[in-house]
Amino acid sequence: MDYLFAVLLSSLSSASILLIATIGLAVVFGLMGVINLAHGEFIMFGAYAALTATQQGVPFILSIPIAVLLTMIFGALVEILIIRRLYGRMFDTMLATWGLSLALYQCAVIIFGTVSPGIGMPQMSIAIGEYSLAVYPLLMIVVAASMLIGVYYLLTKSVYGMKARAAIQVPHMARAIGINSSNTNTLTFAIGCGLAGFAGAVLLPIVPATPSMGFAFVIKSFLIVVVAGPVTLAGSALSAIGMGGGASVISSFMTSVAGDIFFFALTLLLLRFYPLGISSRWRFKL
Amino acid sequence: MIKSSIKRVSVAALLTALASGTAFADAKIGAIFDLTGGLNIYGIQQNNALQLAVEEINAKGGVLGKPVEVVTYDAQSELSKYTQYTNTAILRDKIDVLFAGLTSSSREAIRPIVRKAKVPYFYSSLYEGGACDKQTFVTGSSASQQMSKLITWGLKKYGPKIYIMAPDYNFGTISAHWIHEFAKANGGEVVGEDFLALTVTDYAPILQKIQAAKPDFVVALPVGANQTGFLEQFAAAGLKDSIGIVSTNYGSGNQQVVVSPEAGKGIIANQGYFMQVENPENEEFVQKWHAKFGSEVPIVSGAVDVWNAVHLWAIAANKVGSVDNDKVIEGLEKGISFDAPNGKVSIDPKSHHLNQNIYIAEGNTSHGFNIIETYKSVPAVFENETCDLVANPGQAGHYVPGQ
Amino acid sequence: MTFENLYKSFKYSLPLALVVMVIAGHGAMDPYLAYVATSWVIFGLLAMSLDLVWGRGGVLSLGQTAFYGLGGYFGAVVAVNMAPVTGNSLIWLLPAGALFGAIAAALVGYLIFYARTGPLQTTILTYTFTLVLWTLTQSFKLTVGDAVIGGDNGMSNIPGYILGFGEGAESADPNLMFLIVVVISALAYLGVVRFMDGSFGRIIDCIRLDEEKAELLGYDVRKFQLYNFLLAGGVAGLAGGLYAGWANYLNPSIFSVQEALLVPIYVLVGGRGTLSGAFVGALLIGGVSFWLGGGAIGGQTTLILGITLIILVMFLKKGLLGALDDLCQRFLPDYNAAARDMKPVEVDSAVVSKIMLDAEAVAGPAKSLQSRDLLKRFGGVVPVDHVSLSFGPGTPHSLIGPNGAGKSSYLKVCVGLYPQDGGQILLGDQDISSLPMYERVRAGIAVKNQKPQVFPELSVQENLWMAAYSMSREPEKAGEVSSAILHMLGMDKQREVSAAVLSHGQQQWLDIGMVLCLAPRVILFDEPAAGMTNEETRELSKLVRLLSQYVTIIVIEHDMEFVRTLDGAVTVLHQGRLFTQGSIAKLRNDERVLDIYLGRRAHVQNL
Repeated sequence: MDYLFAVLLSSLSSASILLIATIGLAVVFGLMGVINLAHGEFIMFGAYAALTATQQGVPFILSIPIAVLLTMIFGALVEILIIRRLYGRMFDTMLATWGLSLALYQCAVIIFGTVSPGIGMPQMSIAIGEYSLAVYPLLMIVVAASMLIGVYYLLTKSVYGMKARAAIQVPHMARAIGINSSNTNTLTFAIGCGLAGFAGAVLLPIVPATPSMGFAFVIKSFLIVVVAGPVTLAGSALSAIGMGGGASVISSFMTSVAGDIFFFALTLLLLRFYPLGISSRWRFKL
Repeated sequence: MIKSSIKRVSVAALLTALASGTAFADAKIGAIFDLTGGLNIYGIQQNNALQLAVEEINAKGGVLGKPVEVVTYDAQSELSKYTQYTNTAILRDKIDVLFAGLTSSSREAIRPIVRKAKVPYFYSSLYEGGACDKQTFVTGSSASQQMSKLITWGLKKYGPKIYIMAPDYNFGTISAHWIHEFAKANGGEVVGEDFLALTVTDYAPILQKIQAAKPDFVVALPVGANQTGFLEQFAAAGLKDSIGIVSTNYGSGNQQVVVSPEAGKGIIANQGYFMQVENPENEEFVQKWHAKFGSEVPIVSGAVDVWNAVHLWAIAANKVGSVDNDKVIEGLEKGISFDAPNGKVSIDPKSHHLNQNIYIAEGNTSHGFNIIETYKSVPAVFENETCDLVANPGQAGHYVPGQ
Repeated sequence: MTFENLYKSFKYSLPLALVVMVIAGHGAMDPYLAYVATSWVIFGLLAMSLDLVWGRGGVLSLGQTAFYGLGGYFGAVVAVNMAPVTGNSLIWLLPAGALFGAIAAALVGYLIFYARTGPLQTTILTYTFTLVLWTLTQSFKLTVGDAVIGGDNGMSNIPGYILGFGEGAESADPNLMFLIVVVISALAYLGVVRFMDGSFGRIIDCIRLDEEKAELLGYDVRKFQLYNFLLAGGVAGLAGGLYAGWANYLNPSIFSVQEALLVPIYVLVGGRGTLSGAFVGALLIGGVSFWLGGGAIGGQTTLILGITLIILVMFLKKGLLGALDDLCQRFLPDYNAAARDMKPVEVDSAVVSKIMLDAEAVAGPAKSLQSRDLLKRFGGVVPVDHVSLSFGPGTPHSLIGPNGAGKSSYLKVCVGLYPQDGGQILLGDQDISSLPMYERVRAGIAVKNQKPQVFPELSVQENLWMAAYSMSREPEKAGEVSSAILHMLGMDKQREVSAAVLSHGQQQWLDIGMVLCLAPRVILFDEPAAGMTNEETRELSKLVRLLSQYVTIIVIEHDMEFVRTLDGAVTVLHQGRLFTQGSIAKLRNDERVLDIYLGRRAHVQNL
């Protein structure tokens, strides 16, 4: 019984970690229709930004906003220099971001080498019966939930959010009423990247910064966004919990390989029945 | 920090290559290591060790009285480059001997090419064991070589119950096989095991399973960042006090530097070499190394394996008076030995593996190790059993235990 | 020989000339260069498989290295076991590789195309497929006879290219290997080019240009996409087999991201959609990196390739061959010049009657179209709300109603563009409710949507031919039918003009012509007169009335004057429901009809 509870709790934290890594990708996909294949490398960017900040003596908690800001600025640059010029050319956008992902990976190897010291995880644990769980990963459940709520409010209640949704739903109409859709898109992409940077920074104690760390997330993140479909935010949350959490539960009772197989098999099954994502027939829009 | 050392190292390597290229060299050796890309923490050191060894050999009169020439290639941590550059080295640069590779796959890519071209080949890295080929000599330690000592030590120290956590590829699965074997032979019991895909970063499910299985110690074999990630999460969950952690690959790169002191303290590592080994050869070796390459990064065991390989080849070539393939192999198969930084090593003529010391060390709080046990001249048991290249020179393959 | 003919022969003559040069000169090559260059040609072949899927098929697959690797592994397993028996290794390596590549592609393709995933999802899924293979093969171990697949240690001892038979046959030296790969790749290239020049390739082009229209012409789009994907998988598998024999070793890294990255780069450098560009790109990139050598630059390959890809995508859209092609175009006659002196269409009753009688001889008599209780919902909106209607030949039918009445939706549900949520559709006696769109078209229902849908890169004649070929599946017959329609449209002189340069009205006529090429038994026109001049509208009205004597024809129109000239039966839809039916004269006096056109009362009074 204790085991079951411990497993459920840690699986929820696994799903939350996955969701944290995915939200930025989902926002960019949902609002711009762009799949950013360099998303994983933006996570890495955030992780290195936070790591470098802590090495300069900045407390970890403060290094997170620094990382978010830097990643946002970098994301805005990428949007202005590359993404904007390829707007409407979906495949070309994917290829360009793919090229970017490899270039960023190699840059990280050159600048930071392949290993950097980690920052360690807070040595705190809680006990559930005879099982002990590290606190920091559990904290990610709260982080993921706050991220979801924050992004939801940003997109529904802020002026920017309304503009962004208007720009994607009826671009010509948005232009006609004076919304500068290219500025909105720059901001959207920057926010998506900022969320990736946040993920890299906040997950740094769990996932050490390495040039290839983005790779560890992208496969599952991409699949979650694809399975989620057009209602990206709620869809991603649901598929992250279902697929990521499910895989984690399976891993806990069987083997890690079985968990991975579950994840991919479920993806195939869902796409067979919902080729455009599980949310393709939902009514609401976020 | 690491960046600047790369630059310095590659410039040095280039200069050495250029300088020695102008001399009238008789013997030409090829070196293919990962100087860039994800594996370069090993590759650069392997290449450094080769340059250092050649320098020393040339300073002492070279091979057959002439300086040795080195041709260096960067495999860029990409497997296809090994195939390409091995062919380049043989077809274009016509090398006499090849020192190359870190991963087992790189060795397997090279092996058929050198076999066909009849060029002696030295593979210098710790690995899962089982390589057997007339052309191939292995100077790193094999899994059975390391595990035979580590498991008996762990059973004695912690107790009989073992949990295995290994990457889901050959190194992991074959190491796990040996853990089972040695546990059975010494009254231990494997209470759980899990194999992980390369991209796993979240260890929560495994930590649950470990706690449910209640082992006395965990054999943790993930590679690189995965390993440090696991150790951090293991320590943060507060499991270190009740469960021991041992590993045959922790400390083979610079995991001990990456990991936080809290997580790194008390972890048991087991290698053929640690920088902390105390003997005159090692003292001299470390001193030379620091003088040339700086002392920021700890020296990895793979570097010493390369150093040993180059010296063993030079000894054999000088002994038989030729760098010709057949003669050099004949020379090497005479069971020559060498006083290496990791203690005396000698070639087993049948298996082409080394009898060498195996050390057990404990991680300390200053990103380093304290050596706590030394096993002298440990043979590569499994390889010696399965592979007899003296009796069957045509034997070639990669043997997997239990098949 | 004119430059025009020369230009058209380039894609065959230039590769052949290169092959002859290699046959003559391969012996004199530096063996090391020959060895390295062999791999470039193999990569070219691999890249060609992507160009088939992407450049021609319009689907970006990042999974070509997966089929390449799978083909390589399977070919190698067969060759390791069989080559010792027969000597020759190529007869095992290559067919087995191609076959396995094709099978794997068929399975992946089936999932992607028949589940109707979007293009973006397709790319992500193929990419994921490759990455998952990379992860799984790390620990995949299998022993088949003498072949040992050893997880990350890979598969060793793969025989090289052995040409001779029997025992003691030796594998080829680097120079001969180069020749073998060049000849096999050239054969594969020529075969594929020839195949893609035929009707299959044209259909694939149409699907890339406008998938919906291709299906509206009665082509089973999924099937063709799947076959194309399968063909490309086979080519990739063939390349994989060649690679396995060249490297003598395979390992999961063949499925790695770095490996996959190179393939689109080769295609982009050479020029997308050209097929030969794949080889140009691979040779060029291979040659440049060979010339630059390893060293400092070699170490940053990933960085350079990543940036190269970004630059290629942004600035060199057509690739090298595309740029060369643009240069050649300057010396070719301008086919589009004829578009300028196009005469307005004049409908000749005799010509139309002849066409319609010919069509009837092939497709049978006119059929009626009935909907029973037809229902279509979009969330809370119900554009087609239990509509039961029946249409037959003899008189034109007009479908009118205010904006949002559900006219276009009704048409789209009938042809299958929107799946219905309830009710039945009958074509003659046949219930077509559950048929996919292309089968409804083949059963005799044809639609022209509001916007003209023509294939812009194809000529006027080719557009019509594509429609005619869909029905007859015989090139000659399709040629006859399309020529007749071409003549009817008065576009004989414009047959070579590309459809993209036609005016909006002319594109409408071309689209109408394509519909007629299908020999439909029921025709649905959605606002056909939009963008037409008064004269053209008059001719169109004449055409519709003529057609109604032979087939069932339903026209949606906002232009009430046009509806009046049709002088047929009128159906009024309102809020997704049948409102009323009758003749123009009757409806003109119906107050309720005027009411639903609130705000447009003045206009309606002209009824």
